[in-house]
Amino acid sequence: MRIRVLLLILVGAARQFAQPTVAPSTEPVGNGRGQNVAEYNIVNSFETGYRFAEIGGDTGKYRSDVNYSSGVRLLSSFLSVNSRDGHGRYFDEIVLTTQGLGNDPYESASFRIQKNRLYRYDLLWRQDEYYNPALTISFGEHQLNTLRRLQDHDLTLFPQSNLKFFLGYSRNTQTGPGLSTIQLFDSRGDEFPLFSNIRRERNEFRVGNEIAAFGFRLNWMHGWDDFKEDTPTSLSTPSAGNNPNDRTTLTALNRAAPYHGTSPYWRVALFRESSKLYAANGRFTYTAGRRAFVLDEMDRGTSRVGTLTRQVLTYGNANRPVATGNLTLSIFPTDKLTIANHTAVYNVRIDGNSFYRTIDSGSDATTLLNFQYLGIRTIANQTTLNYRFSPAIAFFGGYTYSNRRIQSIERTQVSGLSDALTGDQTNQLNTGTLGIRFRPLKPLIVVLDGEIGRADRPVFPSSERNYQILGARIQYKLKNLSFSAAARSNYNTNSVSLSTYSSHARNYSADISWQAREWVSFDASYSKLHLNTLGGIAYFANSDLVNETSLYFSNLHYGNLGARFSILRRVDLFAGFSHVQDTGDGRSTATGMGLASSLPAFQAAQTFPLTFQSPQLRLSVKLQERIRWNFGYQYYGYREQFSNLQNYRANTGYTSLLWSF
Amino acid sequence: MSRDVPLRPLTRSKMGVLYIGSVHVSSILFLGLTLSFISVAQTAPASIAANADNTFVGSEVCRRCHPNILVNFFKNPHYKSIAAAKLPPEGVPAPPAGCETCHGPGGDHVKAGGGKATIIAFSTLQPKQILDNCLRCHSQTLSRANIRNSPHTLNDVVCTNCHSIHKSPVPKFLLAKKQTDLCYGCHTNVRAQFSMPFKHRVNEGFMSCSDCHNPHGAPAPTWNMASRPRMMESALANEEPCLKCHSDKRGPFVFEHAAVRIEGCEKCHFPHGSPNPRLMRRPVVFTMCLECHNGAGGFGRRADGILTQSASHNMADPRYQNCTTCHVRIHGSNADARFLR
Repeated sequence: MRIRVLLLILVGAARQFAQPTVAPSTEPVGNGRGQNVAEYNIVNSFETGYRFAEIGGDTGKYRSDVNYSSGVRLLSSFLSVNSRDGHGRYFDEIVLTTQGLGNDPYESASFRIQKNRLYRYDLLWRQDEYYNPALTISFGEHQLNTLRRLQDHDLTLFPQSNLKFFLGYSRNTQTGPGLSTIQLFDSRGDEFPLFSNIRRERNEFRVGNEIAAFGFRLNWMHGWDDFKEDTPTSLSTPSAGNNPNDRTTLTALNRAAPYHGTSPYWRVALFRESSKLYAANGRFTYTAGRRAFVLDEMDRGTSRVGTLTRQVLTYGNANRPVATGNLTLSIFPTDKLTIANHTAVYNVRIDGNSFYRTIDSGSDATTLLNFQYLGIRTIANQTTLNYRFSPAIAFFGGYTYSNRRIQSIERTQVSGLSDALTGDQTNQLNTGTLGIRFRPLKPLIVVLDGEIGRADRPVFPSSERNYQILGARIQYKLKNLSFSAAARSNYNTNSVSLSTYSSHARNYSADISWQAREWVSFDASYSKLHLNTLGGIAYFANSDLVNETSLYFSNLHYGNLGARFSILRRVDLFAGFSHVQDTGDGRSTATGMGLASSLPAFQAAQTFPLTFQSPQLRLSVKLQERIRWNFGYQYYGYREQFSNLQNYRANTGYTSLLWSF
Repeated sequence: MSRDVPLRPLTRSKMGVLYIGSVHVSSILFLGLTLSFISVAQTAPASIAANADNTFVGSEVCRRCHPNILVNFFKNPHYKSIAAAKLPPEGVPAPPAGCETCHGPGGDHVKAGGGKATIIAFSTLQPKQILDNCLRCHSQTLSRANIRNSPHTLNDVVCTNCHSIHKSPVPKFLLAKKQTDLCYGCHTNVRAQFSMPFKHRVNEGFMSCSDCHNPHGAPAPTWNMASRPRMMESALANEEPCLKCHSDKRGPFVFEHAAVRIEGCEKCHFPHGSPNPRLMRRPVVFTMCLECHNGAGGFGRRADGILTQSASHNMADPRYQNCTTCHVRIHGSNADARFLR
């Protein structure tokens, strides 16, 4: 009774404080916890409380970034039941954990039950409330407000034996409202926002087996991956479109586009890792993907030439068989030397037929038959060598050769006349890696490494062609103090005679953790993520073809500070602060730089400076041996330098009771 | 009735000593039959193994001095080996069961009254020795088939860097800390990426690093010419792990956006986190599209350049600066080669 009263008082007090936040509290776990009941030991805990969120500014952006809201939650729970002698009658272990149940945007539960040597069953269930206004992507007209549920079931029979069986089932659904757009009725028409009721579902069933013999293990899995999407799209009210000054309007639109298919697959693996002289593993997969689709759309509106009613009907099949293989051989001639060779093969053939039929009130029906084929075949071979000269120093290096062939056929057939475009090209990539790892002192590790790559015919202007990667890492680790720092750069140039492309990425990071005393510890980290790219672009502006370069600068600074205190083994306090800032290229206004482009939109796209910061505080007080009171507060502040449309600030927090027994 | 007996080392090989220890007497026959499956890797460090007089003492003796470790050990996954008496975890028949399976015979340790020099103490082992010890049993899992070639192993990050056998705060996988804290401990730049405004929900507990990565090593990714990224946990058909959840982007589609299939999602998205919506590599879409669709010779499916936009697109007009407003099915479409529906 006292406990219930206490709980009510604390929850009530928390509402008045109107603070709280983030995820559940860290539960201190002690030795020898739990109660013995018959042949089992049971540990159980619940953290229940009230979460609060107060948002100012752009709520949509807050929902996209953070999304916590107010309400009572089962913030976390934990249950474990263990047989004390490992010989339970029906099971030896049950572990159940949950997080965020009761309307948090990120909810999950995991469950495991097993009996030694006989079976093991794992369940993972997750739910994500996703919201994205996509303001800078499509004028905010591609909003998503969906619920995604994921669940994975895995049953293993005889998990400790040389003959195991696997059964599994996974399900992934996405449902909820969304916005989309459509461009009608011809290339000089208009764009119209549409409402979509998103319904996507994926079900996967799998069965497999593993057999051990002669030191090798053969593992195979056969599965069926079914996917279906039935997302009806419609126009909610007659629309003048995004450009009301033109003639094109849309008064009605209804679209049904069922899209169903299955991908049966096989995976066979043979491996051996238990030898001290060599290890080998090979894997082969084959997946036969097939989808059938129909799109039936009815539009009514005004085109550039007048009133129009049109039906668009598309139907067909798409196929994508994929065969892949991996073979890795590792030999260990001496304790100091490891040589590994890895071969990978990837072969995919994508083809499909799509009948496209339009019937409109202004002309006769038109039927097109489209066929596309895209084949990708990659063969790669990699050899790596790792030589440990002494416990203090080691060298490693490797060479990789990749060969990728891309074949393509694009064919369109209209009234018996067909037109086909074919393509065939091969790209070869040669890469080499080299590094040294040394430990001048026992707690100190230094790693230096580099990679250089050369591709002769990359398929995209922004692909890696001539690139070099340099990395360095230092780590100093004592029992109560650890420090690490790393630097890494990746420079790529893919310039050809008529096109320029180069990218420079540099990452620097440092982290220090110090447990000064048993009751106090500190953690701090800093990262700088720099990226600048230069790409040749071509576009039309006011009917003129413009050739110029596209620039992009991002200088992201991230800092994190944290301090933990444990006072008298009764009170745990954590205070932290994280700060993200993109300083861009240092400019003070979005446009007017006249750099690389004369169009303001292109100037504004070169950089996107912003600040995102989040201080937080957590307090956990042990009220009794089995009850803790928790309180947390977290502030989120988001600010863009050149626009305030998406800026927001949010005070979030929670108060809760953690009851364990 | 069971009876534990301390046994001396059974055989000696060039590599060291093959142990058997505190086991049920009847299991000796079983052990003999399965010796051929036990590799020579089942050895202890030479200094411990070299002492032929060192004997197994059994876990009950260990309990006298280390009660804090054994009081909760029945909850530890390794307790399976004790419960089964003759089977260690994951199926390799290797005696003995209990503390000495990993720590070697404890006879000398008991005689000396403790000390790290008289027993296999993992804190004193070289990384490779730790790996060898654990892999005696734990190599027998497909997900660890590439562990010796993994970048973690090659950088001396081995089992005990991430797993805490005796003091794990989480029952699954015996991780030394919460998984994200473990990974962030070294990958500080990744921690920064997951702290961006747009990110996959790893810090929030909805996802974990191992949803997409295999920390024990994985075959080279085949979708990106088998170079980087490394240690990826592939989805169906050796595809990117993104498609495990984003199955609507998987297709197949009659009209594939070739960039997605050839170079993968990373062509346009930062997978961990980004300051830009939808984890895009740029704050707006059109610059990203134009950097490929620039018509430069040598690129594209036919090496004749990737198509530039048509003259009807006036980039000086804001309506043309959001490519995906019209090209809505940019990941692939069945109805339109230009991804319009």
